[in-house]
Amino acid sequence: MKIPFKYNLRSLFVRRGTTLMTILSIAFVVLVYVGVLALAGGLRVAFTASGDPRNVLVLRDGAKTELESFFDEEKRRQLAALSGVAKGQDGQPLASASVYIIQILKRTDGSESNVSLRGVEPAMFALRPQVALVEGRRFEPGRSEVIVGQSLAKRFPGLRLGNDIAFGRVRFKVVGVFDAAGGSFNSEVWGATRDVSDAFRRGSSASSMVLQTASPEAAARLVKVIEGDQRLKLKPMLETRYYAEQAGTNAQQFVILGSILAVVMAVGACFAAANTMFSQVSARAHEIGTLRALGFRRRNILTAFLIEAGLLGVIAGVLGAVLALPLNGLTAGTMNAVTFSEISFALRTTPNILAGGVLLAVVTALIGGFPAALSASRRQITALLRER
Amino acid sequence: MRKLALRNLLRNKLRTLLTVISLVLALVLLCFLTAFLDLLENTSAAADNRIVVRSAISLATPLPEAYWRRLETLPHVTGITPLNWYQGTFKDDRPENFFPRFSADPATVFEVFSELEIPAEQLAAWQQDRAGFVAGKALADKYGWKLGDQIFIKGDIYPVDVNLTLRGVFTVPAVPSSERQVFFHRRYLEEAMSNPGIVGTYFLAIDSPDNVAAVTKAAEAMFVNSDAQVRAETEKAFQLSFLEMMGNVRLLFTAIGLAVIVSILFIVANTMAMAARERTTEVAVLKTLGFSQGQVLSLVLLEALVVGLAGALIACGASALLIGVFSAGLEKVMPLFGTLAMTPRAWAIGLGLGLLVGLFSGLAPAVSAARLNIVDALRRVA
Repeated sequence: MKIPFKYNLRSLFVRRGTTLMTILSIAFVVLVYVGVLALAGGLRVAFTASGDPRNVLVLRDGAKTELESFFDEEKRRQLAALSGVAKGQDGQPLASASVYIIQILKRTDGSESNVSLRGVEPAMFALRPQVALVEGRRFEPGRSEVIVGQSLAKRFPGLRLGNDIAFGRVRFKVVGVFDAAGGSFNSEVWGATRDVSDAFRRGSSASSMVLQTASPEAAARLVKVIEGDQRLKLKPMLETRYYAEQAGTNAQQFVILGSILAVVMAVGACFAAANTMFSQVSARAHEIGTLRALGFRRRNILTAFLIEAGLLGVIAGVLGAVLALPLNGLTAGTMNAVTFSEISFALRTTPNILAGGVLLAVVTALIGGFPAALSASRRQITALLRER
Repeated sequence: MRKLALRNLLRNKLRTLLTVISLVLALVLLCFLTAFLDLLENTSAAADNRIVVRSAISLATPLPEAYWRRLETLPHVTGITPLNWYQGTFKDDRPENFFPRFSADPATVFEVFSELEIPAEQLAAWQQDRAGFVAGKALADKYGWKLGDQIFIKGDIYPVDVNLTLRGVFTVPAVPSSERQVFFHRRYLEEAMSNPGIVGTYFLAIDSPDNVAAVTKAAEAMFVNSDAQVRAETEKAFQLSFLEMMGNVRLLFTAIGLAVIVSILFIVANTMAMAARERTTEVAVLKTLGFSQGQVLSLVLLEALVVGLAGALIACGASALLIGVFSAGLEKVMPLFGTLAMTPRAWAIGLGLGLLVGLFSGLAPAVSAARLNIVDALRRVA
């Protein structure tokens, strides 16, 4: 016969001080785990939201990032004329060059970071329908105007709507703020290609080119076509892959940090759980003896204490997850290790991460509780009953 | 008194052991976090009499080579050398094969970076071979390079690959972590790109640290009306700017550290409370025997402090050992620009927090034991 579940619940409640402290200690382990992984999760979302599976990004052969890449106008014309490139409503190819530059700017708190500035062609807006203005208007080419991703507008005082700001040797006016649906473009400043390259004396060379095709399959075909063209000497890749790699590079450090912290802290909390369960067992020796005398078997006792430990873990896990929930949506900024520039993102406590945290707590409590449960079930009835 | 506290700790050996182990784990974690933060903020390799001049736009934008001669004319400047971050790929993309590779000027680089030591004949051999390179000793040892060995690095930032021959090995006795870099001729790179005349950063040696501020200002003022404005700063400020770009690392680490401490406080406090509760009757007996409130208080507190101290000592010892092992392993997979070490701050955090946790966890049970009413306690069955 099974020992009723109510017995476990009530036993935990009898020694609520001890129980609560153990629960809190495990809950904080979960909090740290979820918090650090939410950073990784947020970075991943910011990058994956940027890539479109139909798009092909073209860099100079040998360059790993847009920052290092450059090629001339002639090659860009050839790329835009390729047959796989889709046409927009105006009949023009859905292809836009980017002049990608980073420049040091001051954050609100006075610290400094590199900010991404991207000169784009009009087709870029047709290519990226997720980019929508939330304030102001689009820039007009030739007038030294820029629009700013909304994360940057918040974090860099110089980039507020209506401000004048020097990029290179030219002062630009911020005429609009845009949102790119949480993507990494939210951490970029956009202007017209010519205006940006003039400000930095880049001549006619651009950093990269993005080409939109009809479908992901067509994009894969276009990659092959460009790769096969020996005269171009360019490196095409699926845009989703480019951003997935950045997501990986940037998120990985937080995944490693979070995992190491979680494991070490969990081992520590395991011992706390062991302590609590041992004290439960020794305080209830008489009770256990009585249960055994009533006919409950050793394995019933083992199960009962394991359930109790598990229950402790579940409560702690859920509490830790609840404590971590307010982190969701908090914005953080760090350096994109690939382009060397500021990337803002919102922390994401995804269901997967939360579930991982709860699981961590349950496993911690079960491992911690097992030795105590085992010793409770192993002892002789007579010895148990003799204890006070 | 003291004996009583120690005896009490040994009464439930398992519990004391479990508590100390969990305390040790948490403190080791904190020591590692502190050591890592110290490594990131470590600027001991930075000379206080050198300044870095780079483009005011960002490090990704180079300066003209012509600035070399102009910067040289500034007062108090005793030497100047250009460095370009070449980066490139050696062997493959794996992080363990990453190390800094610079194109440098062989005539001046060892003068400005005077802490780098190289045998005179090796330096001369490098200066004469345009396709030669010099490597730090730690790096040469890692790859087993000998003089005359050739390496190939594929360009990424620069659209040029380089084939280099080892001509010299330098040491940096003061900062061995600086031995993990490679310098090769800047003319080799320049010629391969048909002489664009670009310099990533200029390093200026100043006659005295007192003049650094003045030279920094003068260097920036020199180019304020030109197309390529510059930013001049001390080598230390330059290194810290990388940390600044990473955003609030310190805040993240502090937040994690706080959560670890709170968690461990609950664990130790829990044990102390359990220990005190079990001995309610005993405390009453002690009081009956004439022990004062203060004595009872210090008895329980002492017990907690001993746990805290034991945890702190073991944790610091273990951290010092583990950090050594870990950093040796870490250098293989992910070379850092320094060596992880048990810094004084890590010692302070480990010892201080261990004692504090002991103190705070013992406080509540100690006070309640001291306040215990003898009659009630003796009547109560534990």
